[in-house]
Amino acid sequence: MALKALDIYKLLPKKNCKECGDPTCLTFAMKLASGKGDIEKCPYLDDHAKSVLGASTKPPVRKIKIGVGERAFVVGEEFVQFRHEKTFYHPPGIMVSVSDTQTKPEIEQIVTNVRDYVLTRIGMDLRLNGIAIRNDSNNPEQFGTAVSYAEGCADLPVVLMAGTLAAAEAGLHECGNYRPIVHCATRENYREYCSLTKKSGAVLAIRAGTPDEMAELSTLCTEAGQDALLLDLSSRSLRQFINDSTIIRQHAITRTTPSLGYPVFYDATIPDNADAALVLGILKYGAVIVIGPPTRPSEKALLTLRQNIYTDPQKPIQMTAGLYRVGNPGKDAPVLMTVNFSLTYFTLQGYLESSRVSCYMLIVDTEGLSVLTAVAAGKLNETMVRDAIKKYGVENEVSHRTLIIPGYASPLSGRIEEETGWKVLVGPRDAAEIGEYLETEWKA
Amino acid sequence: MTLQTQNIWNGRIGTVTIGADRAHGGTRTLQYTLGGEQDLAAVGPGATQQRPLIAAEICDDPGIWSPIVNTFMGDTVNDTAGWAGTMESEYHPDIVRLHLTSTRKRNFKDFSGIPETVSGVLKSTGLPLIIEGSNDPSIDSEVYQKCGEASSGERVLLGTAEAGRYRSIAAAAMAYNHCIIAQSPIDINLAKQLNILLKEIGVPYDRILIDPYTGALGYGFEYSYSVMERIRYAALKGDQDLAMTMISAAPDSLNIREVREARDDETDRTAATWEFYTAFSAVIAGASIVCVRHPLAIPLLKSAIDSIWPHSAGREA
Amino acid sequence: MKNVEASIKSGNESLKTKISELAGDLGYEETAYHLPVTYALTGNAVKNADDARSAYQRTGENPFVACECYTASVTAENGKEPAPFTGFLPDADLRKMGYSLVDGSILGLALVAGSPPGADVVAGICRELQEKYMLTFLAGDVVGTLAGSGVKVGAEYRLVPLGSTPLRGIHFVDIIARVAMMFGGVSPGDPDRLISYARERAKAIVIVFPGLNDEEIAFIDALSILGIPILSMGGYEGGNWHLATPENVVREGMDQKGIKVTVTAIPIPMGCSPAFEGKSIRKEEMHVEFGGGRTPAFELLRVRPAADVTDGKITVIGPEIEDVPQGSALPLGIIVEVAGSAMKKEYEPVLERRIHNFVNYGEGSWHVAQRDLVWVRLSKEAVSKGVHIRHIGTLIAAKFRIDFPNLLDAVQVTLITDEQKVKSALLEAQKVYRERDQRIKDLRDTDVDLFYSCTLCQTFAPNHVCIITPERPALCGAITWLDGKTAFEISPSGANQPVPKGEVIDATTGEFEGVNRFVKKASHGEVERCCLYSIMENPMTACGCFECIAVMLPETNGFMIVTREFKGLTPSGMTFSTLAGTIGGGAQTPGFAGVSKNFILSDRFLQAEGGIERLVWMPGQLKEELSERLLKKLSDSGRQEFFDRIADETVTTTIEDLMDFLAKVHHPALDMPALI
Ligand code: SF4
Ligand code: SF4
Repeated sequence: MALKALDIYKLLPKKNCKECGDPTCLTFAMKLASGKGDIEKCPYLDDHAKSVLGASTKPPVRKIKIGVGERAFVVGEEFVQFRHEKTFYHPPGIMVSVSDTQTKPEIEQIVTNVRDYVLTRIGMDLRLNGIAIRNDSNNPEQFGTAVSYAEGCADLPVVLMAGTLAAAEAGLHECGNYRPIVHCATRENYREYCSLTKKSGAVLAIRAGTPDEMAELSTLCTEAGQDALLLDLSSRSLRQFINDSTIIRQHAITRTTPSLGYPVFYDATIPDNADAALVLGILKYGAVIVIGPPTRPSEKALLTLRQNIYTDPQKPIQMTAGLYRVGNPGKDAPVLMTVNFSLTYFTLQGYLESSRVSCYMLIVDTEGLSVLTAVAAGKLNETMVRDAIKKYGVENEVSHRTLIIPGYASPLSGRIEEETGWKVLVGPRDAAEIGEYLETEWKA
Repeated sequence: MTLQTQNIWNGRIGTVTIGADRAHGGTRTLQYTLGGEQDLAAVGPGATQQRPLIAAEICDDPGIWSPIVNTFMGDTVNDTAGWAGTMESEYHPDIVRLHLTSTRKRNFKDFSGIPETVSGVLKSTGLPLIIEGSNDPSIDSEVYQKCGEASSGERVLLGTAEAGRYRSIAAAAMAYNHCIIAQSPIDINLAKQLNILLKEIGVPYDRILIDPYTGALGYGFEYSYSVMERIRYAALKGDQDLAMTMISAAPDSLNIREVREARDDETDRTAATWEFYTAFSAVIAGASIVCVRHPLAIPLLKSAIDSIWPHSAGREA
Repeated sequence: MKNVEASIKSGNESLKTKISELAGDLGYEETAYHLPVTYALTGNAVKNADDARSAYQRTGENPFVACECYTASVTAENGKEPAPFTGFLPDADLRKMGYSLVDGSILGLALVAGSPPGADVVAGICRELQEKYMLTFLAGDVVGTLAGSGVKVGAEYRLVPLGSTPLRGIHFVDIIARVAMMFGGVSPGDPDRLISYARERAKAIVIVFPGLNDEEIAFIDALSILGIPILSMGGYEGGNWHLATPENVVREGMDQKGIKVTVTAIPIPMGCSPAFEGKSIRKEEMHVEFGGGRTPAFELLRVRPAADVTDGKITVIGPEIEDVPQGSALPLGIIVEVAGSAMKKEYEPVLERRIHNFVNYGEGSWHVAQRDLVWVRLSKEAVSKGVHIRHIGTLIAAKFRIDFPNLLDAVQVTLITDEQKVKSALLEAQKVYRERDQRIKDLRDTDVDLFYSCTLCQTFAPNHVCIITPERPALCGAITWLDGKTAFEISPSGANQPVPKGEVIDATTGEFEGVNRFVKKASHGEVERCCLYSIMENPMTACGCFECIAVMLPETNGFMIVTREFKGLTPSGMTFSTLAGTIGGGAQTPGFAGVSKNFILSDRFLQAEGGIERLVWMPGQLKEELSERLLKKLSDSGRQEFFDRIADETVTTTIEDLMDFLAKVHHPALDMPALI
């Protein structure tokens, strides 16, 4: 059971000395309670406090950084089983696999795509994260060479799917300082892998048949000094993956089996159905997921799904406020005002585009609230609309002075008219009806 | 020691039967009983898990249907019954979902056309049906009466009841012994409220499926995903008013930019992939029926579902 | 004049004889329910005279069984009666009928039997039944009388002529029996379920004219077992038959069965929709205005006994629109009188507030504020289209009926525009406002057994449950106990549910057994205990839309409060939004609570921790806003000086300076028992 802020406060030195970087001990306690604080930051903690707090305030799933530089990413540090309980914090790293039996240009082509591919959605740049190099040749030297090809063309985080210690060593020789993931240690060889990866600061993926065995193996590894671990469940069926991954997440967050408190590694290329495995990896707690080179449709869909699932459910995604064009709007094109809740924006935009009426969308910043909630909460009002019209120069874009507002914003129509001097038309409540609405109601 | 999942459940999902075969007074070649689960989707012992079903969506007026599907299917879309038959024989969905899009036309009056369309589809496919009636309250009464009567005995799933308008659909379900879809706008409490309203006018819980409304992937899907998880969670925790099976369809999927603007040679694949990602995620969140429009999404889903639920547990031959 | 009791006796005797004389086969086609009434009562399919006799015996000589078997045998012998009579209706027709009942396009069923004294009377009654969406069945002479008056009969006119004799009214019963079996899950052979279904669900009434013979009286009287009210148009005495007049018979019957007509259309010459809610009417656009400081005006909603309210009646006392020139100002009193068996006095203020929305729904009508501060305008455009002052009344009355169908049966509106009369009515109204304020103010948590919950915020805080009590309004400030109560009554399956207090576990911390039970269930098992008057121990969860956050400041042994509006850093070291981010989402965080502004003034606020004197800091704006009421509360207990001991941002926003300040002013919290 996680400690509450005041329980933590009681254990703090209560000096309010600010050395932790927070203005009061209470603030520090709140941070610890939400798993976001670091007990090391308070220099005055006594041993008792440290031991109590250490166990209960560090994230139940260990935070692990993979790779270095711009494309490094963090996984773990998760607190919940369902995203609606709070949120999922760190989206899984998607690692695209290459084989050491491929030629240099083949490898480079895949690596370059991972390096350069960006999907921009809702103001976020979504990317694939890294490369997994597979030892298919069974030849450490060839494996090392393949790693060097990948390293040669991009500073991407990598997984060394080495299979053997010798290959792992050869791979680490090429990229050892860049915090790669070494895959994978088992009960039989964990000592060697631990010492190998510890030396270079690499992350170690470990593989065991069941959650029980996994818990044992991870304990052995930490005892051997390696605690940058990922738990690999890859070898199992889709259903087994869901079950095991759920067990691991639950035991971690309830802290009942702390040795399972590590991020999950999933090789989604093993099951027959790669797309399905990938979806499961994203939904069910995968933290590092290995996939084959994706098709373009899959690439987009998987990045979008990951963005959706890792959106903070309590913080709706927001659009940047502004004036957006749909089609080629002219001086007499309709202007539709709506809020910056992304779902509202995109739904409306979709219907506008398919209605083929060129128009302007005036997006007002309601902190990401939907129209209904924004109106109710007073987050959408006439002055904001007036300011937005001014700020985004709507009066220069169109020659008329008529604004269409969402159906749910109708309580504001009069005040908007007064404040802006524009004529206000109340549009439909359901975006799906906008096409028909414009057809019948719109006259500039 | 064997580590287990730790959720403690004290409820189970209620069952619902869709379709009626000859032994049960209908003409379907098979019927399904869904529900009965006692854990999260795909978690726990396999015996309590039903295989989720795939519904292929078609319509009787392709004018407002996705141009991608229309192009892919060609002329078939102008022959509703033929379309249903083609879906069954070529793509093998579990259910056909017929949208009576013709009723969306302004001043729709052709009520007598509805029974014709419905019986045509019933003849051309042996699969259980979902029938989506009007979405205009002023014609609901007549449309649903016709839908219900025309499919009498077949235990179809009628859609879609909402909080403001559920009486006609409920009436049709009760009068002609069908099941209904109860849709609420991504809100667990409204979902529950609608179920209670339906119960109050006499629709038994074993005839209701919850449709929590599914936003397209990238366009609000995360809300739908979570609300499905929450409904399933509440049901397993013992909330009887939410313990129905769920149906998920993302009606806007093929209308979003990513799909519309895909390269010409990738349009179909993109459409199918997008539907697959959405529908399969919905299955994992707890949906028992997932609906898609692009035929190519069906084999993708089938193979994914088969690999998790190899037994066709939902079927009664 | 027929004596009902005596007739029943002899009627049943002669029915018995009829049964004993039955012969041959009986049965209907196009039904799966055989002779439906008999089948429903006994579970047996009657196929011939012997079956009929045994069913009659088994049911204790039930008159329905007798009528049904007899009628079936007559039909078997002579064939169906000629058109327009329908005789027995096939199952397929019944499904459609049942559909319309569930669907709401038919509100109920009526049977009209007997020999009406004249065509006009029965035609009037039938027309009223049609207008009220009743499906009416006719049996006996009524059919002929009606036809003579030119009223069209037939299913499409919702007037179904069953047969030429009143006994053919048995089909009315077989319809109810089949509806019970088809839609109500009543299994054949379960008479108790059948009767309770008919009593609770079947919305049916019977209207009888004079002229029935004994058998027919026995048959009609049996309907009362099914809970069907029998309304007599005269000619009968005794029995449980209600004498009615042609004018009131339909309303009486529908009232007795609780059948309510829903209003859908609003007959006024202007548009009416929420879409117009925000449309304001500028001075130049206005034809006439009321109140707003220029003239006296008020609005008042009262509940009245049903007999005193005529639904839809609108009265204007004083000048109408044509009596005043454009641009003038008139006084206005809006008095809305409502009746409804579920309506209670406590709901008055909540409903009264809806007047504002309703008037604004009108395309050319506009309304601001409430009570005696109202300000109403009608636009030139609307008036030119024919809108009158009385239409404001029509609009209000109709909207109330549409929006509160289960609560209100009748609404009448009086609009006073005569200055003297407004002024005197205003005094009355002000008295009512004062009484209401007093009543809400005086209501204590100990006065009630039920609190109310709100789970609206579970959309984003899945396990959050608000418990709303008379003294603790919802943390968002939007919902009082009364609002919760009203919302529940109006929509019993909505987000506000009653929470029985149950045993008091601890009166000081405000822990109640019933509340705990409710919260545990509604939070899906996440929250086990909830102390309503404590912030340190098991406080209420916080969703995110709280008006204020109360935060324990350990250093001060007291609490600070920060409002949503206050953007700066507080002595806790955190801003409102940082605090909100950490404690929101539906979690229980001891030491932190979401509260509404009004709750701060309640004696229950911080009751477990020692009361308002724990308060050490709040934003100046809040202090200002609460000052009058807070000062009064403090001075009532002789603690006025405490007000200045509460610091605000002009004193400090750091904990260190706050400590100095508290020491300087000898803040009482410093000497209170330690909080942790
Ligand atoms: S460093 Fe420690 S003692 Fe100082 S303010 Fe932070 S928590 Fe308190
Ligand atoms: S904060 Fe207000 S709206 Fe939200 S649950 Fe509580 S009472 Fe309901």
